[in-house]
Amino acid sequence: MNMSESSVVVETRNLTKRFKDVQAVDDLSMKVRKGEIYGFLGPNGAGKSTTIKVIMGLVRPTSGQVFVNGKPTSDHDVEYRRNIGFLPERISFYDNLTPIQTLNFFCELRGADKSIVPSLIKDVGLDSAANRKVGTFSKGMVQLLGVAQAMIGDPSIFILDEPTGGLDARWVKVVRDKLKSLNEKGATIMFSSHILSEVQMLCNKVAVIDKGALVVEDTIENISDHLHIRPRLWIQSSDLKNGLPGWIRSLEGVEDASVKGDSMLITCEPSLRLSILNAIQEKGLKVQDFKTLEPSLEEAFVKLLRDKGGY
Amino acid sequence: MSLNPKSIYIIAKKEFSDNARNKWIISLILIFLVLTIASSFMAGHGKIGEMELTVSALLSISSMLVPIISIMLGYATISGEAESGALSIVLASPIKRMEVLLGKLLGLGSVICFSILVGFGVSGLVIAATTGHAQWGAYLAFMLLTMLLGLLYLSLAICFSALLKRRVVSLGAGVLIFFWGMIVGMIFAGAFMATGGSIDDFLSGDTSSLPDWFWIEPFFGPQDGYGGAAMLAFGQTEILGFEMILPPWLNIYSITMAQIVWTLVPLVLACILFQKRDM
Repeated sequence: MNMSESSVVVETRNLTKRFKDVQAVDDLSMKVRKGEIYGFLGPNGAGKSTTIKVIMGLVRPTSGQVFVNGKPTSDHDVEYRRNIGFLPERISFYDNLTPIQTLNFFCELRGADKSIVPSLIKDVGLDSAANRKVGTFSKGMVQLLGVAQAMIGDPSIFILDEPTGGLDARWVKVVRDKLKSLNEKGATIMFSSHILSEVQMLCNKVAVIDKGALVVEDTIENISDHLHIRPRLWIQSSDLKNGLPGWIRSLEGVEDASVKGDSMLITCEPSLRLSILNAIQEKGLKVQDFKTLEPSLEEAFVKLLRDKGGY
Repeated sequence: MSLNPKSIYIIAKKEFSDNARNKWIISLILIFLVLTIASSFMAGHGKIGEMELTVSALLSISSMLVPIISIMLGYATISGEAESGALSIVLASPIKRMEVLLGKLLGLGSVICFSILVGFGVSGLVIAATTGHAQWGAYLAFMLLTMLLGLLYLSLAICFSALLKRRVVSLGAGVLIFFWGMIVGMIFAGAFMATGGSIDDFLSGDTSSLPDWFWIEPFFGPQDGYGGAAMLAFGQTEILGFEMILPPWLNIYSITMAQIVWTLVPLVLACILFQKRDM
């Protein structure tokens, strides 16, 4: 399917939001197309949450317009929200309600069938806490209930603000798998994140914003090529005291290598990491420790902003 | 803009059932019941007193208690939920903000009205059965006026809750609107003294020297207006044993109109403020 031809589901046109002394969103225009997993990336304070809140009608834009399924959104027509599963950044429910009561209430609000509530709770692993008050929940459990809440009414669009924030590794995977399977069933998903690898893993389209303005919007392939935002291999060895051995760069798959003290950083395709590690050991270098380093978002942004001229 | 009654009902039902669940409603009913019976005993010198006596003893408490209850119910309903974040998901549902606001007013308002109806209603039945004498028309007017007072302060509290960003600040605003009702009488008395009036006029009970403007006080102080209207409902114009000669425009209808204005103006303001609010 040619992405550029499929229909635009969520669009912001010249969106601007100014709080008293802060320009939170600055002339932001972006398009999320049907069937995409759209990553919304940017450092903290870049304006991701504000943009999402404007799309959901929670924050009034200073200027500009939001379109959902081609129709401009307005206060007078709230029906567009029935088809959007939403997870806010700082999620909170009513402390005095149980998860079942909470989801029942939101089912009523969305005009959805309440009989799905138990299965929604089970899906996010909260079935053992189904009759506990939400006030006693940990942050991660509230986040999971938020994910369950977003599924109510089987929406075809999901707008999720940091959906894996505050979750431990096991549940991060559950949520990511859930997003993938929703997308495979045809849902369009837009989510914000500041975890680069997560965006790379899930998204086929990415928008990067900084200081409220769009830095780049492109497919993940184009952006990855552009950024070389690949994880690097970190190797510790006492044999590295004398600097980088000359043969390292000639190993197959090594794109870049550098040494600092007794540790070495190698940039390569993730799939070649193991063979490179083996080759290094075969050459007689004693590997004491190794790990993969995720590129930091800051690094990626610095590079992206530096390269911006190319776009 | 068309409103969806079902959405309003869902919000109202949640507010009402929250307060039923946390035992607020039953507590309020018991408080109203106990206070009325206690006031009746006090007014009846150890026996259950008649409705008129009971109400005149009860007014000094209910005119403070009902506003406090309303403010407690309403002060955080927008600001508190906005601060915690719970309101975001509600407002991201297919519901208009006006529907949320009206639902909250109706839900919390019915908590107050239901408690008053049952608490004062059952006490009224007890009084009527015990004394064998009842002024149901006036007593009913008293109950309705009490409900209106509750809605009035609820509307004020919700208005400040829609305006203010933080829960604790809107609590402060709640205290302020309560104190306005408490001090407005003193402000008028002060103005009377400052314009050459004498305290003796109050002490002697000679109200003929009071200027006409003094009598608009019940329109400005909702608590005093409520008390005055409830007394007028029983045909009483005596205060502290002194017969008051009231201007013809000061009557139960004009005071009730003023209380309705006091309820509707903050409500309209709350709608406008909430509509503009960034969550």
